[in-house]
Amino acid sequence: MLLPSTVLLSIFLAPAVNALWPLPQQLTTGSTPLRLSNGFDIKFKGINNPPQDLKDAVSRTEKFLSNDKLQALVADRGASSASQIQRAKQLTSLVLSLDSTGGHHKRAADATANTNSLGNKIKSISDEAVAPIGQRSEGYTLTIPADGSAAVLSANSTLGLFRGLTTFSQLWYDWNGNTYTLQAPINIADYPKYPYRGFMLDTARNYFPVDDIKRTLDAMSWVKINTLHWHVVDSQSFPLVIPGFESISQKGAYNSAAVYTPQNVKDIVSYAAARGIDVLPEIDTPGHTSIISKAFPQHIACPEAAPWSNYANEPPSGQLRLASPDTASFTAKLLSSAASLFPGNTFSTGGDEINQNCYADDDKTQKDLKSQGKTFEQALDTFTQTTHAALHKAGKVAVVWEEMALDHPVTLRNDTIVMVWISSENAAAVAAKGYRIVHAPSDYFYLDCGGGGWVGANTLGNSWCDPFKTWQRAYSFDPVANLTASQKDLVLGGQQLLWTEQSSPSNLDSIVWPRAAASAEVFWSGPGGDSAKALPRLHDLAYRYNQRGVRAIALQPQWCALRPGACDLTA
Amino acid sequence: MQLRLLISVISTFSLFGNEVYALWPIPRTLQTGTSFVKLSPDFGITVNVNNPPQDLLDAVSRTKAYIQTDKLQRLTVGRGANDSSAIRSAPMLAELRVSLNSGSTVRPIADESVRPLAQRVEGYSLTVPSNGSAAVLTANSTLGLFRGLTTFQQLWYDLSGVTYSYQVPVVISNDTPAFPYRGFMLDTARNFFPVDDIKRTFDAMSLVKINTFHWHIVDSHSFPLQVDQFPEVSQQGAYSSDEVYTPVDIQDIVSYAGERGIDVLVEIDTPGHTAAIASSHPEHIACNQASPWGNFANEPPAGQLRLASAATTQFIASLISSVAKTLPSTLFSTGGDEINSNCYAKDAQTQSDLSASGRTLEQALNVFTQATHKSLTDLGKSPVVWEEMVLSHNVTLPASTVVLVWISSANAASVARKGFKLVHAPSDYFYLDCGAGEWIGNTVGATSWCDPFKSWQKAYTFDPYANIPSSQRSLVLGGQQLLWTEQSSPENLDSIVWPRAATSAEVFWTGATLPDGTPRNGNTALPRLHDIRYRMVNRGIEAIALQPHWCALRPGACNS
Repeated sequence: MLLPSTVLLSIFLAPAVNALWPLPQQLTTGSTPLRLSNGFDIKFKGINNPPQDLKDAVSRTEKFLSNDKLQALVADRGASSASQIQRAKQLTSLVLSLDSTGGHHKRAADATANTNSLGNKIKSISDEAVAPIGQRSEGYTLTIPADGSAAVLSANSTLGLFRGLTTFSQLWYDWNGNTYTLQAPINIADYPKYPYRGFMLDTARNYFPVDDIKRTLDAMSWVKINTLHWHVVDSQSFPLVIPGFESISQKGAYNSAAVYTPQNVKDIVSYAAARGIDVLPEIDTPGHTSIISKAFPQHIACPEAAPWSNYANEPPSGQLRLASPDTASFTAKLLSSAASLFPGNTFSTGGDEINQNCYADDDKTQKDLKSQGKTFEQALDTFTQTTHAALHKAGKVAVVWEEMALDHPVTLRNDTIVMVWISSENAAAVAAKGYRIVHAPSDYFYLDCGGGGWVGANTLGNSWCDPFKTWQRAYSFDPVANLTASQKDLVLGGQQLLWTEQSSPSNLDSIVWPRAAASAEVFWSGPGGDSAKALPRLHDLAYRYNQRGVRAIALQPQWCALRPGACDLTA
Repeated sequence: MQLRLLISVISTFSLFGNEVYALWPIPRTLQTGTSFVKLSPDFGITVNVNNPPQDLLDAVSRTKAYIQTDKLQRLTVGRGANDSSAIRSAPMLAELRVSLNSGSTVRPIADESVRPLAQRVEGYSLTVPSNGSAAVLTANSTLGLFRGLTTFQQLWYDLSGVTYSYQVPVVISNDTPAFPYRGFMLDTARNFFPVDDIKRTFDAMSLVKINTFHWHIVDSHSFPLQVDQFPEVSQQGAYSSDEVYTPVDIQDIVSYAGERGIDVLVEIDTPGHTAAIASSHPEHIACNQASPWGNFANEPPAGQLRLASAATTQFIASLISSVAKTLPSTLFSTGGDEINSNCYAKDAQTQSDLSASGRTLEQALNVFTQATHKSLTDLGKSPVVWEEMVLSHNVTLPASTVVLVWISSANAASVARKGFKLVHAPSDYFYLDCGAGEWIGNTVGATSWCDPFKSWQKAYTFDPYANIPSSQRSLVLGGQQLLWTEQSSPENLDSIVWPRAATSAEVFWTGATLPDGTPRNGNTALPRLHDIRYRMVNRGIEAIALQPHWCALRPGACNS
């Protein structure tokens, strides 16, 4: 008799009350109050010598449970439930275990190895996080009984356990120092619909200190985003210190403090990986490279040429001399060296917005083309094959912007990943060519749009990609729109992006959060969600972010946040 | 010899040129040179004022501190390093002499800041010689001295720990604002803002000589204002017991503002926008949280004061009086926007009140408004109202009433035609919240009602006298940018406001023309706005980037 009523309740209550983001694939909840005991503890079962990053993740989870102190977003913030909470059964422990399939590489157990109960070698979260896309196991199951007996989190991998810990930490509210839920029992079976769920940050238009990036990685991990696409350099500045090429950042960073040293990069990638995040670096080529001319003028065509609009989509102009064998070789070595700083197996060579007029007016390029008897497109093909061969040799899969697949007859390896940015409508054309796709469309996912024109004299202009892309707009994105059934598997996922012409550390949190969580749910839970139903959960997430020191903005007056649905159009 | 001297004077005092000090708002008169001067390690500010008020001394201390701690490098490639030898060999400035012109009355800045607009004296004169002899700041009021100190702070840059100025001599003679009212409005009812956020906002406002904080303190969503005689209203109507402004907070805020040259104009919006009062006084509110809200209000929740009820009228008049009497400003706003007549049509009590008194709704509104305004005029205050009270209703208003034009800039002319003083607050130029998408739930793909985003460039093009005949121009007191906070909170306060809200500060301080007589324009403003933005960031105000840093270092290079 208990079962049907639980099921009914869960159907009725789950969408309105649970504040999980992204929503798990399977979720049932009850209506029994449960609170954490004072001595609440997260334990390992059958995991010998758990990896340090898993132990750290457990510690952070325990801290969130005690420090979030998020009151329920209801009009009385939980006061009317006080006596229920006071009388509630107490949960004393969450038990973590790896399923028997856990650990991908079976080895003979030894006394010191990290192993599960079957003696399988356990990979750390960090190792799992940077495994090739498609080989990561992020699923988990979580059971929280209503009677106070131990909650159980199990997964096939430490990465899955990490995702489950993230979910667990979103279940609880505070009332008068009690950490509680009103919805026990809770049963979750969860896994992502898409393997790539990203966020892109441009650190070249304006610089972002390491701490801002780490805070962003924390925020990303809380919504299970698993990739930081780091657009680290561009024409405006070159903050990345690349071994063997230090002069580029010495002369091309905004100042000697506005750099990412190899040590900083190591710090960032390990911070990311410990939080289930792979870092996909981008060194955009051959365009968007003006600043390299400060150290290597011989490699850049049309540096800071005027009027800039004849030579680039935005100032300053400047592109790698793609027809020059020296420049191609220079770029390939630069990419190889940069790639060695990152543990992930993807690396982006960019390839967007190549301006042909820049090359047409560059004597050196014209001479190079002529001497080799190549057209511009042929030279681009050679250049790209050179840079991609260098990456392949370094064990990396190349990532490119859509123009490399759609606008230029460039030979790309079959495993190349293409980012669609100009328009969501272009995804189908990329899929038709058989490439794997990451959705990054300006018409849904560009976080910078709508802030007015930033080019100086454009005094009354709006941004080129107006209007502002609301979270509701991003949330309505369909990853398989216009794709045939056989092409759907090419979609790896997607990401929201922050280009930083008008952003800086001052508004990083407020322009990104909670909006960038919208795509995190689209690509974890799957598309088709109803934004009216999602709004209360997104409020909850934003308020929790604030409690954790990430300055997510208000989506509505607090009055509305405390009264789900009351501020809907027809309420 | 005479000729050579003349030539040297001409060359030293170049007129406003391409590269100019990054003063914001730019003074109405300004001569600059091409020499360098650096601050002496024992630089001091001498106050030659009899019995100087404490807030003047405090402003002097803050000025000294800012000059030391701003550490703003010039926004140029190399950040000033190319001038290091000129800076090294520059004369040292040891003293800024601050004095009042003879015959001036010495009053605290805070007292000057709250005088009636027509009596406020903000002008000052400032000279910084190129030879290291003392800089001189004079004014006719301590408030004018405060404005001059603010200008002085903006003259200084840092290179390797040396604080220097690069376009001396500077001569500013009688920089007085073109308009007496230069404001910023903050809504603390849709979402709450702690006292520290408001104080930090005052710091930023005073840096650009904004002199009025229009505090839209309460609304239908919450009532964070704790009123001595009506404590139950905030007890029941605030978001929580922590999210209130106590009388002590209010005094703290008002003094902090006053010491920084800012008058606090508090608004208790009536009779609409008052649903939060229903939590403690349901008897005074019609259509409280009525559904669908779209029939009863412009945004949820619905709820308006029962304007036809004598008891309600007396209640709100007492409440307004209770608040207004604790405030030093001569201005107080009773709001008056977006009155929904359907709310009253469906309210049985209002209908019976109307029929008992034999009044129409408009007549009742007139009686109601006269009662609330009498509570203000009895205290010597002038009411401030939103434009509907003049343009959409037949309400008798005191001649001293100040009207805020918000629906459209095009409505200012109609208000002026009726002979009322006005403050420009038009949504089509000055609303800082526009352009972030609709905030009402379940409206996928909808844009904000006042799209697009009002860029600083747009605000900067505002013409305060558009369509207003010269005979009515004296009615224009000034204007303000506004932050309604349906989608804002402490998290994005700085970033959504700054540096954009500095735009109107220059429109209304500097007026239509630059010191050289040419029209103000966005292209020459941008490098200065970058500068004030970076200075704000160095002072802990999270103003956003307007362009890539690359562009900020190269004025004009990112123009189209």
